[in-house]
Amino acid sequence: MQRKAQIKVDKLTYHYGTGPPVLKDISFEIEKGECIALIGQNGAGKTTLAKHFNGLHRPSSGKVYIDGTDTASMKVSELARKVGFVFQNPDHQIFHDTVAREVAFGLKNLRLSPREIEERTAAALEAVGLAEHRQTYPFNLSKGQRQRVALASVLAMRTEIIVLDEPTTGQDFRESVQIMEIVRKLNENGHTIIFITHDMSLVARYARRVLVLCRGEILADGDVRSVFAAPEILKKTYLRPPQITNLAQRLGRHSIPPGVLGVRELYELLVKMRREKIGCCN
Amino acid sequence: MALLEIENFSFSYPRSEQPALREINLKVEKGEFIGITGPTGAGKSTLTYCLNGIIPHFLGGSYQGRISLGGTSIFDLSPAQISRLVGSVFQDPEAQLISPEVEQEVAFGPENLGLPPAEIGKRIGKALELAGIPGLRNRPTANLSGGEKQRVAIAAALAMLPEILVLDEPTSELDPLGTDEIFKVLDILNKEHGMTIIMVEQKTEQLAAYASRILVFNEGRIALEGEPRQVFVRRRELEEIGVRIPQVARLAGLLGRYEGCALPLTVEEGHLYLESILRG
Repeated sequence: MQRKAQIKVDKLTYHYGTGPPVLKDISFEIEKGECIALIGQNGAGKTTLAKHFNGLHRPSSGKVYIDGTDTASMKVSELARKVGFVFQNPDHQIFHDTVAREVAFGLKNLRLSPREIEERTAAALEAVGLAEHRQTYPFNLSKGQRQRVALASVLAMRTEIIVLDEPTTGQDFRESVQIMEIVRKLNENGHTIIFITHDMSLVARYARRVLVLCRGEILADGDVRSVFAAPEILKKTYLRPPQITNLAQRLGRHSIPPGVLGVRELYELLVKMRREKIGCCN
Repeated sequence: MALLEIENFSFSYPRSEQPALREINLKVEKGEFIGITGPTGAGKSTLTYCLNGIIPHFLGGSYQGRISLGGTSIFDLSPAQISRLVGSVFQDPEAQLISPEVEQEVAFGPENLGLPPAEIGKRIGKALELAGIPGLRNRPTANLSGGEKQRVAIAAALAMLPEILVLDEPTSELDPLGTDEIFKVLDILNKEHGMTIIMVEQKTEQLAAYASRILVFNEGRIALEGEPRQVFVRRRELEEIGVRIPQVARLAGLLGRYEGCALPLTVEEGHLYLESILRG
């Protein structure tokens, strides 16, 4: 029997109102446990596509299936149990007067017992490093902290699939790393992760597969290494691989592979090369 | 005399126990491109507010020390006077554009100066040209890309013929293309037109490539300062503060062999550096 994809997008086309299509006949599948980066320039259709996973958008034509069920037949509340969505701007989703209440909101809608709600809220706040801010008014926190409140609200729902729309935009370096390390752990614990970003070094470090969108179509879909190894394709949507990948690609004549993803990786390749060179001369 | 001079300047927001800025000393000469980076809450934005008059005119607080622009204490100037001297561009392009059309947006400042229409028209043309968007003059602002909106904001600032341009994370909401557009425009403004620029930015790879001097803020102080190479060589301190080091500089730091030649910061410099290592 064929293995069922967790998310299946089949010939999806979408347009806002009577406007031109924002997504054009897109098809792909996502398996449980994948960690996928969705990239492309602004206006490429990344957020529009992601909002189909939790039913905020419904296909104009084509289908989106979650665990084999056509989302057209599912309510947003049903989808909310399967797919968590962290919005780009936390201030668009936070509306309670304490951090704990904000995180508990979705859980109340699931009609969980007070004990279960308390347990999940505490665990989610612990996971994002905000345990001591339970009673804090969210808008007294920094933007980075509010982003983590939004993330905790989604974590608490314990959905199998988590979508994050530019989770590190407006964050400083340390906050970005903090958020992405939480995402990494979620993925290690079996959650399927789909994140939208413009930061190619985060893609290199955290994603395994990358979907490149360009004007509503999929320009490339593959493991991060092979997609970054083809900079001429990325260029079509005005992206370029991380600085270190770019540098490695200029060293092709020294037989450095074009899909280097990290500083440490290039460093080790260079050290090995030097050792071999010295070895042959001795 | 330096164009901008900050002497022993400290600032605290109302009802705040910790000062946001502590004993800042800084001299900026005409034509410099100063890049400011550092973690959230380090005082970067507060400094820009002190330069463009938001502090003390719109946000209260207490300060000590002095900031002078062209020899005049900036806190003695009215908001209108400051607006002629300091051009400001903020983080969110949506929040700062107020007019439905690009031309009106750029005209807004000069109109408030009461300039004759012919002069306003000339300034708009020149400002749009400098911002690299002469073709957008009659376009509605709502349909522009993020990079275009930020360049309209830059044009609006330039139309006031400021002495200095102050930008607070202008690329944080932009995609890579928009980010490149902003850095290219700032580079041309700085190198070809001598515009003095102060830019707060998290994207250190681009900042390292374009800024003539980098300031790293931490806990209200200038923690590190110097030419990009002098700053990004200080790996341990930068990691401690939480500043992203350009990948090429991190690689060179690991290889540890740039004595005698400068620390590479860009892909081009990294390429030359590695070729010399691989040859040697």
